[in-house]
Amino acid sequence: MTFAQALILALLQGVSELFPISSLGHTILVPALLHWTNIRRAGPTFLPFVVTLHLGTALALIVFYREAWWRIVRGVLRSIMSGKLSNDKDERLGWLLIVATIPVGLLGLFLQKRVQALFGSVEPVALFLMLNGLMMFLGEYLRRRQRRALGRVDKPIERLSWAQAVWVGFGESFALLPGISRSGAAMVAGLLSDLDHEDAARYSFMLATPVILAAALLKVPDLFAAGAHVALSEALTGGVVAGIAAYASVAFLTRYFRTNDLRPFGWYCLLFGAFCFTLARMGYIR
Amino acid sequence: MKALALILVVVFFVLGLLYALGVIQVFTSAGHGHHIKHLILFWGLAVLSLIWYRFQVNARN
Repeated sequence: MTFAQALILALLQGVSELFPISSLGHTILVPALLHWTNIRRAGPTFLPFVVTLHLGTALALIVFYREAWWRIVRGVLRSIMSGKLSNDKDERLGWLLIVATIPVGLLGLFLQKRVQALFGSVEPVALFLMLNGLMMFLGEYLRRRQRRALGRVDKPIERLSWAQAVWVGFGESFALLPGISRSGAAMVAGLLSDLDHEDAARYSFMLATPVILAAALLKVPDLFAAGAHVALSEALTGGVVAGIAAYASVAFLTRYFRTNDLRPFGWYCLLFGAFCFTLARMGYIR
Repeated sequence: MKALALILVVVFFVLGLLYALGVIQVFTSAGHGHHIKHLILFWGLAVLSLIWYRFQVNARN
């Protein structure tokens, strides 16, 4: 992997991790489109590189939501020390995030490697990216129908039920499939649980933080395994670039979702997925 | 719910231990050896179940 490729991949990871367009899908499709045959995902330098990209992204999310995280951690610790739940909304949000992380953690640990080994090539990824687009259109349609036909109204995040928190966590677990977006799936689940777009995005980003951080930290021991080789300059620069891109993305998206919805991203995923699938079927990319 | 929370504490603790010792190999990528990530996950869940149990006890009181 050249330094320029490392920078482009870092930028791609930082942006596509938070935009609802699937980072994993893009890190498979874009190198295939650019015919970067020198990049071996199983190579000894790629894993450390990916770990630093994820650490950079997670740190950017922690910094962006630092005040909220501080209140949440204090609220959760207060409830643990007192041994009971209060009506504090930050404390409740903290526990909702913890409960929603359980299905993501369990399914991720048990299924991630198998699923990605099965579907990690260009054609299935392109198909899942199209499915990701359809999922966002379906989510928007069902949300409008819920509000029109059933008269449901938006509620703040901390009024989600425990079952709805678990449902959003299961939604996020679909991102194990390369091409399905973590933030997109969690946002759709949040929208169908009566959150507005801004809160669904915020909840999805906050839920992604411990997941991305834990995934990166759990891979750290692999860096010291026999055969692992850390290309320090690529890894560090990549982490910083991914972090800056992630911070800019979350800043943009939190503003964007105040007044807009998921449909433009749905169109993008449908068209880009169809484009890559067609090229793969014609044998232009592999 | 108190009983369920306690059962989950024991189940998660034992599952974590069995994965760490390499007794259980179900849903592991290597298929053999000790699984520390599984240990961390299941003991984390055991701790959460214990906190849930304490919430239940104090809610009753």
